[in-house]
Amino acid sequence: MDERFSGFGAFILYAITAGMMLFILAPLLLVMAASVSDSYFVTFPPQGFTLKWYAKVLQDRDFLEAMRLSILLALGTTVGSLLFGVPAAFALVRGHFVGLAAIKGFLLSPLIFPALITGLALLQVLNKLGSTDARLNLLIGHIVVTSPYVIRTVVTSLQLVDENLEDAARTLGAGRLRTFWRVTLPQIASGVAAGGLFAFMVSFDNYPVTMWLANSEYTPVPLVLMRQLVNVFDPSVPAMSTIIILMAMVGVLLLEKLVGLRRALAA
Amino acid sequence: MKSSEVRLERLSKEYGRMVAVDNVSLAIEPGHMVALLGPSGCGKTTCLRMIAGLIRPTSGDVFVNDKRMTDVPVHRRNVGMLFQNYALFPHLTVEENIVFGLEMRGMSKSDAARKVSEALSLVQLSNFGKRYPAQLSGGQQQRVALGRALVIEPAMLLLDEPLGALDKGLRESMQVELRALQRRLGLTTIMVTHDQDEALTMADKIVVMRDGKLEQVGSATEIYQRPASKFVAQFIGASNLFEGSVEQRNGSGAVIRVSPELSLQVDQLPASSSDAMVSIRPEAIIVERAGQASAAQRANSVMARVDQAIYRGFVSHYYLRTPSGAQIIVFEQNQSQQAGLRYAVGEEVVARWESPSNHIIARH
Repeated sequence: MDERFSGFGAFILYAITAGMMLFILAPLLLVMAASVSDSYFVTFPPQGFTLKWYAKVLQDRDFLEAMRLSILLALGTTVGSLLFGVPAAFALVRGHFVGLAAIKGFLLSPLIFPALITGLALLQVLNKLGSTDARLNLLIGHIVVTSPYVIRTVVTSLQLVDENLEDAARTLGAGRLRTFWRVTLPQIASGVAAGGLFAFMVSFDNYPVTMWLANSEYTPVPLVLMRQLVNVFDPSVPAMSTIIILMAMVGVLLLEKLVGLRRALAA
Repeated sequence: MKSSEVRLERLSKEYGRMVAVDNVSLAIEPGHMVALLGPSGCGKTTCLRMIAGLIRPTSGDVFVNDKRMTDVPVHRRNVGMLFQNYALFPHLTVEENIVFGLEMRGMSKSDAARKVSEALSLVQLSNFGKRYPAQLSGGQQQRVALGRALVIEPAMLLLDEPLGALDKGLRESMQVELRALQRRLGLTTIMVTHDQDEALTMADKIVVMRDGKLEQVGSATEIYQRPASKFVAQFIGASNLFEGSVEQRNGSGAVIRVSPELSLQVDQLPASSSDAMVSIRPEAIIVERAGQASAAQRANSVMARVDQAIYRGFVSHYYLRTPSGAQIIVFEQNQSQQAGLRYAVGEEVVARWESPSNHIIARH
């Protein structure tokens, strides 16, 4: 679109955009507002103003322990899904082999399958394999769920890389691995960063798979939130949620700062 | 730089049932520049990439200085390659692009820096080292690519339509420049192009390819003056092609009857031939006013009417039509003081030419 919108068209566009923003952001703002309510139950509009729920949450050993677990899990998942997803994407884009489409479909299937079923299936398989370490199981489960995001963003940015660049590097004396490291990776860095951020966020707030694989000893944040919600629905739940929302925002801003969101999501 | 001899032996590449390159054998002399010329899809690029090692042949071998290279991976072949879209690394500066190949060879920083500055001055870009490719024009980018390819002192230079993305004026001056540099360095060079002018301008030897096979190999003069096949005659320059049967033998030659109004005198024709295809280049034909000369019953001479006349600066193109409907294309060089076209559309003329201009096409 070369022409700028103007006049009535512009008005409609802005109105629809504003409406969509409100639709998406209002619930988040509602949660943030409820977290500072000086009442014993979640109410809206909030009554008074207090930060005591934040104080309570930040002293809640269960919550802090869950945060630590979830962050480590999300970091591990990010690394794991990148280690798995980037080479997979490379094979999908550069490879010429039989069954390419089928393999692509298989690798992206966790995006389509109901996560609850994926989680249950994983639990059964891991049980059969005798894997009883909840942390390891969670890591494996999260990598399965997040890899498609990495594969998708990396495939998209790889398709934009001119294959002649790689050929040029190889004629200049770089083997396959050095070509990838020195030439290909810098071209797809933004896609890799975006995929990594997706992996982190999807892992951090995943409930349906986590639910099956966690145990009482290792309980990630979404499970703690849900338990709290069921037990005592006081403003500490929106306070926890707000902390997570702010974390996500920091992540997005960081990505924007480092590689530019527009480039990272180039698709 | 030392010059390498490159030899292809029965080289083939198949993709499933599609044969991209079909049993190609070719010897390239050290220091020569050879152009692989042909329409798109003729296998010329596949050939070049097999020489580079970027594509593995289905069968056959590539030899460099009698050493079999077929199993040597591309990054150990020491070839310099230029691509149509330059293929400069966009995240690296001009200097970093050029030093890349030296780093891969583990050269010391100081030696590499000296080499890079030599390469930059060789391609006349000494002041551009710190820039990024996106900040350069197309011509400058291809110079950087050339510097990057030459700095590693390659055994040969491979050019894949290297000037195809440049506009006409720049392309022509780069052709001359690249050719002069290649001669000076004595670097064996293989170029892929679909542009016959580029091939004629730059190459010592032209290899015309079609459907994965070699159609003709020869110097520019050989290819142009003595095309071996109908395809070559039509692909390189323009040709008037006539087919006819032997009417009369005279010595080692013969008179070929093409149509009631046109016969051709050829000076050499194998005794076994009873018919022949003859090609006549448009610039070999002389046009005269019908009144001045009689075409009657003479060989290499025919009455015609001017169908189209196009003035193109230094040359005029005439499209003539004989009474039997055959078209004859004539290129006539214009004189400096000439007032426009010499013949008008609709005018009756005589087209004639000398017997040596009748070239027999061996394969058709």
